[in-house]
Amino acid sequence: MRQRLITLGFTAAFVLAACGGGGGSPAPGTGGPGATGPAGTGPAGTTAAFDPSTVTGEVTLGAWESSPAEGTALEAALAAFAEKYPNIDVTQETIPGDYRVQMATNFSSTTAPDVFYVNAEYAPEWIEEQFLEPLDPYIAKQGFDTSTFFPGYADIFKGDDGTTYGLPKDGNTIAMAYNTDLVTTPPTTLDELVTAADALKGQGTLKAPICLSPGLDRALAFIYAQGGSLLTEDGSAAAIDSAESKAAVQWYLDLIKNGQGMTPTQLGDSWCGEALGKGDVAFAFEGGWIKGAMDNDFPDINWDFAEMPAGSAGKATITYTAAYSINPDSENKDAAWVVLQYLTGPEGMQKWTEGGIAIPSRSDVPTPAGFEVVVAGADYAKPGSGFIKSYGGADGVQTVFQNAMVGEIENATFSADPVIAATKAKIDEILGS
Amino acid sequence: MTAAAPAQRAGKHGRTGERQEALAGYAFIAIPMLLFLVLNIGTTLFAFYISLWDWNYRLGPQELIGLANFEKLLGDRLFHTAIRNTAYYTVIWVPLTMAVGLFLAVIVNQKIRGQTFFRAAFYFPAIASSAAITVLWIFLLQPDGLFNEVRGAIGLNPLYEAMGFGPNHNWFGNSGTAMNSVIILNAWTTSGTFMLFYLASLQSISHEVYEAAAIDGAGPWQAFWKVTFPLLKPGHFFVATVGVIGGLQLFDQALIGGGSNGDPQYALMTVVLYLYNAAFSQFNPGYAASIGVVLFFVILVISLIQRRLFGNTQAA
Repeated sequence: MRQRLITLGFTAAFVLAACGGGGGSPAPGTGGPGATGPAGTGPAGTTAAFDPSTVTGEVTLGAWESSPAEGTALEAALAAFAEKYPNIDVTQETIPGDYRVQMATNFSSTTAPDVFYVNAEYAPEWIEEQFLEPLDPYIAKQGFDTSTFFPGYADIFKGDDGTTYGLPKDGNTIAMAYNTDLVTTPPTTLDELVTAADALKGQGTLKAPICLSPGLDRALAFIYAQGGSLLTEDGSAAAIDSAESKAAVQWYLDLIKNGQGMTPTQLGDSWCGEALGKGDVAFAFEGGWIKGAMDNDFPDINWDFAEMPAGSAGKATITYTAAYSINPDSENKDAAWVVLQYLTGPEGMQKWTEGGIAIPSRSDVPTPAGFEVVVAGADYAKPGSGFIKSYGGADGVQTVFQNAMVGEIENATFSADPVIAATKAKIDEILGS
Repeated sequence: MTAAAPAQRAGKHGRTGERQEALAGYAFIAIPMLLFLVLNIGTTLFAFYISLWDWNYRLGPQELIGLANFEKLLGDRLFHTAIRNTAYYTVIWVPLTMAVGLFLAVIVNQKIRGQTFFRAAFYFPAIASSAAITVLWIFLLQPDGLFNEVRGAIGLNPLYEAMGFGPNHNWFGNSGTAMNSVIILNAWTTSGTFMLFYLASLQSISHEVYEAAAIDGAGPWQAFWKVTFPLLKPGHFFVATVGVIGGLQLFDQALIGGGSNGDPQYALMTVVLYLYNAAFSQFNPGYAASIGVVLFFVILVISLIQRRLFGNTQAA
């Protein structure tokens, strides 16, 4: 009996432990694009049936906080909101620990905030699980202008039928960060990148010229640049086994094989930003978040952003973003919408991105200094996640790809074939289910 | 019990007293027992219930699907990987930690100067936060970390080279060595706890048996293997049971060392970490609960087998 009780207690304990959260931190604050442009006005023909300034009530807003600066920026945006909409009282709740885990438990206990962040990576799952309120009725009745959102961000938060479940609060694209002491003219094509890498081998403190993530989180941009893709145009089938995709993955592995690139693991760094900052590499492919890290942690390294080098299919990059969405169980959805439309509208987004940690996701908001290249990429960027269910997570496409890549690198076999086969099998499994 | 003379009166008095004592006892345990029933037994039973459903976090039960979650587990390759990893961990870690714990217990059971200090020192890792100590361990085992530096400095690199590990081997980042790194970490942190269990058992062994063994001409080595080790059977059972249960529960170190995906290459994917994934990355609480139920029965069966193997002994 004693053992049985111990066992029972243990089971409960691990069930509780599993619910208890902890673990990986949520996605880095995303920032986005924003070629500057004239402010959009509401689409023609809408009548002022819905006036946000007449709405009253209380709204809770759920957010993760990657840094104190992010908290300050959000506070500033909410202060501006309070000035413009004094009848709505917003309470900001910072969700501690693992955001995704904490929100899942909040949904099950019906304590989720009225408005909250949704990271691109699991947006398809949250749409499918009905955690998100459709926004189209609100967009329509207010005549809210969504045309200036960059599609590489906004498309992620649309369902298969085109319904909008979230509006991107900011966004990032992957750009090339390079050491300006070692690289005077940044390469503009992939061939130039390889040539530059060869010339840099063994220079200074370099362990390798390029830092390369073994995952789709970066490799996908290079696959797109060389005419490859994960999925067919309509998203109905795998395209990772196309000749172009295969060649691109092989090209990527060859960079590592030939000593032009190394993974963060091989370099002994936690990510490529650290590798660039420590002088281990001259090139890193990162989003706007690398700027804060370089400014704060590695002020002695001279570096700059350049656009991603173009491949055979032209310029390509991928996006990282997060949206604001509304809780379907919210008791005051109108007030929640007013908050959402302000924070994702030109005025609120400008306040938010002036905080220096986020980049606009719409083209009618001024680009914060230093992020011009990241915003330029948004014009042609494709979604970096959120375009297929089960992309992230232990059993997701990205993990399967990355594990196969790491296997090829660890075993020094450097063949794209097993990577392609494993990834295709996983995509087929997801699309077939 | 003592006075036998006024049997009737004493008995009557005894019964009332016993009843009052029992009532007081129940009153004392009522609140903890209620919490235990609700928070432990209640949640366990609820997990059984959830495992039979297609369950949505926000909307609750969607469809009663019976054993479908369990059928899915049978064909889930990642779950099989998790079971393999967890079994490997438990099979290596439990005996290793028992051996180290017993060794430490025997040492600190000697009457030596500074006995209390050594007991505290060996137990120290057990009271440190597992998260903090894992992060520290990862730091030490980095390619340019202290471990690699030291082994290079004292000239051990040829030995490691012969085993296939380069001078800057990434112990946590390599799929072949990640789990073994966790095993060694946990053997170190948990051996102090096992030492305490063994110490309690050691001290319950009467001096007379050692004296008898000495008279029969047994040296220290023989005395340990022929007297101490067999007499520690209840201790072995208790430590092994606690160890196996803890081993099958491996979670924190795996999550911190390899993230929620059990990197590298699922080397650190354990059953409980996969449960966590099912719950919070597949957003499938029903499936996660079914993994918990399977683990429950696995542990139940292993505990019963252990009990049979070690006989029906009282735990130390």
